Amino acid sequence: MRFLVVLIMASLLVAAVFAADSYAARQLLRADPDALPGDAMLLRFAVRRGRPLFEARCAACHGASGTGDTVNGVPDLTDNDWLYGTGRPAEIEKVIDYGIRSRNPKAWNLAIMPAYARPQPNPGDKNIQPLTPGDIGDVIEFLMRQQGRPADAVAVSRGAALFTGHGGCYDCHSLDAKGDSAIGAPNLSDAITLYGDGSRGALYMSIAYGRQGVCPAWITRASAASIRELALYVYSISHPGTMQNGT
Amino acid sequence: MAAGVLIGLILAGYSLFTARSASTLIVPAEDVALVNQQPVSRADYLALLQTLYGVDLSHATQEQRHKVLDDMIREELFVQRGKELDVASTDPDVRSALVNAVELEIAENAITSQPSEAALRQFFETHQDRYVSEGVMRVRDLVFPASALAELPRDPEALKKAITDAPTLAHLNGRDSGKTKGEEFYFAAKIHLGDELFAAARDLGNGEVSRPIQLSDGIHVLDMEQNRHPVPFGFAAARPQVLSDYRNQAVDKLKLSGESFLRKRANVLIADDLR
Repeated sequence: MRFLVVLIMASLLVAAVFAADSYAARQLLRADPDALPGDAMLLRFAVRRGRPLFEARCAACHGASGTGDTVNGVPDLTDNDWLYGTGRPAEIEKVIDYGIRSRNPKAWNLAIMPAYARPQPNPGDKNIQPLTPGDIGDVIEFLMRQQGRPADAVAVSRGAALFTGHGGCYDCHSLDAKGDSAIGAPNLSDAITLYGDGSRGALYMSIAYGRQGVCPAWITRASAASIRELALYVYSISHPGTMQNGT
Repeated sequence: MAAGVLIGLILAGYSLFTARSASTLIVPAEDVALVNQQPVSRADYLALLQTLYGVDLSHATQEQRHKVLDDMIREELFVQRGKELDVASTDPDVRSALVNAVELEIAENAITSQPSEAALRQFFETHQDRYVSEGVMRVRDLVFPASALAELPRDPEALKKAITDAPTLAHLNGRDSGKTKGEEFYFAAKIHLGDELFAAARDLGNGEVSRPIQLSDGIHVLDMEQNRHPVPFGFAAARPQVLSDYRNQAVDKLKLSGESFLRKRANVLIADDLR
């Protein structure tokens, strides 16, 4: 008899936990993703469930801690510096949903970094012409100056003309080289680098041979709930204070 | 007893012949609507709200929310009607959009799978010729009239001396052709010099001069100031490109196998005159 009571109580407890989880999952999905950081309970719930999803699906590229990998151009997700958007949960969710250059029709795929040392720097845009090795060197000096690092003054002015002129760099990275998160063009005037260590050699590799990183689309491979949990987990690691403050 | 069995059979038969597909009155949490049981995704709703009005859900007005939802429901209704009408059989735009969508779907599968480092390294080693830097040269192309051929020294050192000495160059009526300017990537130098001169230039070392090369516009001598040959990249430097190429190859393979599968399972009959 006592065993039966224990069994019933345990079943009720499991059912209650399951019901609470289902309720929270529904709440999570129906909420405005951008409002979720303000809901400590739902945020904790999502982050708890998002972590194993991150480890299973994202850690292979972004690393277990989400700090990325500058050798392979995998962005650091913990530094609150966003290539696409401004780091709102809804924007993170969109990247997870549709990916970046993932071939999903709704993916972020407006721009690629052309390979200026190749005869056809961007096969998708015949207007972009190659640069000479000297031109590339000048653009690098211009970027060094934009980052406040020592640079050859004469080359800087030539590089500036190229950057804002026939090199076409301004078109994505904007005239001041501060980038454009609406198309995933990185800020080239700060110390954060996506590829390499920010040295002249690393910049040369990017300008000469191009870049076009890919992030897969998960919308058809993961449930909407998983994607939201993942988005909030990524949000939490990029806003370390969020979880402590509960806001 | 018999009556009970009879009633049971009647009810079962009625249910069997009048059954509709399973339907629900509850909209799943990940959707914003069900149109004839077809879900309208909440993610798409939020994205459209952002695209059209630049606002998130909590800042959108009631009117904006309704407008976006109404547009999405309208689209879903028209898509469903389009399927009923089988517009794909007649509309070339729909046909091409469907072909494109299926190809993209195949490609998406290839992109989601993360290849192992061993697979990438093997791909790199098999296609190493793709992962090399672009060569760079700084070369002067001097051109002489055909009549100067006899006077041009055959010895490379003497030839180098002759072309770098301004009075001798003037005496031989030599001039810089102006085809090249400063450092150039190999592909640019090839375009500027032409195939024959570029082939000769590529093999020259720093400071070397070519033999006199007779072309239709005169005798050419190449003076190589600096020649940096293409250098193979290491795996680490090439890895981002290797990954991209590996995935592109996987996409191509998947497309082919997808097409092959569709052909195998299809029943295609071809007219007698086209067999």
